Amino acid sequence: MPLNDNEAGSGLRLDKLSLGYGSRMIVEELDLKIPPQAFTVLLGRNGSGKSTVLRACAGLLKPKAGTVLLDGKPLARFTARESARRIAILPQGPVAPEGLTVSDLVRQGRYPHRSLFSRWSRADEEAVNEALELTGMADLREQPLENLSGGQRQRAWIAMSLAQQTEILLLDEPTTFLDLAHQAEVMSLITALVKSRRKTVVAVLHDVNQAARHADHIVMFKAGKLVQQGPPNIIMTREHVRRVFDIDPDIIHDPKTNAKFILS
Amino acid sequence: MTSRHVVLAAALLSVPALLLASLALGDQTVSRADLESLVDGSATEQIRMIVLDLRLPRALMALTAGMALGIAGAIAQAVMRNPLAEPGILGINAGAALAGGLVIVGLKGAGATLLPVAGFAGATLMAAAVFALSWRNGTSSLRIVLIGIALGSLAGAGSSFLIAFSDVADVQRLMIWLSGSVYAASWETLRLLAGWLVVPVALAGLAFRQLDLMRFGDDIAASLGQRVNLGRAFLILLCTAISGATVAACGLIGFIGLIAPHVARKMVGAGHARMIPASALVGGLLVMAADLIGRTVIAPAQLPAGIVTALIGAPFLGYLLWGRRHAAQ
Repeated sequence: MPLNDNEAGSGLRLDKLSLGYGSRMIVEELDLKIPPQAFTVLLGRNGSGKSTVLRACAGLLKPKAGTVLLDGKPLARFTARESARRIAILPQGPVAPEGLTVSDLVRQGRYPHRSLFSRWSRADEEAVNEALELTGMADLREQPLENLSGGQRQRAWIAMSLAQQTEILLLDEPTTFLDLAHQAEVMSLITALVKSRRKTVVAVLHDVNQAARHADHIVMFKAGKLVQQGPPNIIMTREHVRRVFDIDPDIIHDPKTNAKFILS
Repeated sequence: MTSRHVVLAAALLSVPALLLASLALGDQTVSRADLESLVDGSATEQIRMIVLDLRLPRALMALTAGMALGIAGAIAQAVMRNPLAEPGILGINAGAALAGGLVIVGLKGAGATLLPVAGFAGATLMAAAVFALSWRNGTSSLRIVLIGIALGSLAGAGSSFLIAFSDVADVQRLMIWLSGSVYAASWETLRLLAGWLVVPVALAGLAFRQLDLMRFGDDIAASLGQRVNLGRAFLILLCTAISGATVAACGLIGFIGLIAPHVARKMVGAGHARMIPASALVGGLLVMAADLIGRTVIAPAQLPAGIVTALIGAPFLGYLLWGRRHAAQ
């Protein structure tokens, strides 16, 4: 694995992780190191276990066996509040309660930073404003969520996760309901967060070309098993894509970015 | 925004207005001069008895019970993440009714004084059973709702069975208690209820951030650092303590827990910091008004407040469903 061994203890690491729901196993004995301060994309067909892995990384799903380690310490040993200050997750298709405005939603992101009696602080306000700016939602802050388009609503949710000010951000299909322009916006937002804010972002994406173009690191799953991982230009081969997605693709080079482009 | 303030101010002013109306109106109208005579101490014994011993504790009891039910309803709707939820879904009403029935039928004459105790015990046991049975590596809102409905029906069947095989006089006493009324209010019961409610209501007021977050569902709440199962258990405990005690004191005054939070949300928005006090305000007003209407509209006969709230509540429920017919999800 072409990772820096000096950083072996930092960030998220999965150690012989087995996951499932009830008696149904989805992922078995997965070892994975998430590269810190990079954009990692989990790829695979529906049901390959990538969303399940993401949920486990945030502590939303208890492992059947094995451990999720954060800076070398089992995630289960962090309190809920501690881990919520380190890791944020945006699940797929989140639903907000009725009657909330954008800023009501984004302010929820400050929950893990506040104690029972603490008042709304300047740091809270700054985090919310910054999150709204970064996602381009500042002008819509007083709008009820019900009035927004799907793309705007998705950006409001991302803003909530950003207001949480965690070093690790997990996104489950953040571009699914967006039109092309908004998809590109979300991708460049993620890239900016990684490059200038030094955040670790892990996302489940369905679009292999989006992954090939923007990710620093790609992890391919098939039926709960890790098939291959590495930088996109090395692992996006015809053979790997064929194995993971059961298609027979042609791969060309994107002339603008030199990224690989998969034609299916 | 300003129209919201107007509505809020009107609601706040309605409290003393309704209270005065409750003191003045009834079988025997108490005039303004009579009310003033109470203040300067020159009132007759009869006026003192009617106003201070009968109508005032009754009106305050209606206010207290309504406030409690409004708060319990706001908690229930947040915990069950369902705008149509109310404390009754936790089995509180059905449990109280069944326990009340058992006491009245089982203990014959002695039952009446034990009714409130039995009612509270039944409500608490039922809520505990609903929570315990919905536990499977943690709870979920949906499981609580479904098991609450199932256990509620079971307890309802038990009550019907008791009613079918009991003495008519016993059944009538049970039905009067069940239909929800504040007619038996006294300073003593008011003190008991209010004293009991102080702690859970204060805790509910402090839990507004937990309530705000709980509405988002388990994944979002947990990812933001909430201990979802612990929080839900705690809030259900508060809801049970508040509405169980109210049921014990006043019987089943339905629909307040459903309606008050909706009206409150329209008045002050969805945040619980304001929604909890507003639900209390609306609930208190509704029960006071219901009791006043119930004892004046067909005087000298009296309609229990619970029947009046049901008469208002049923159409309101229809209105809610109609308004949501196009709602997504």
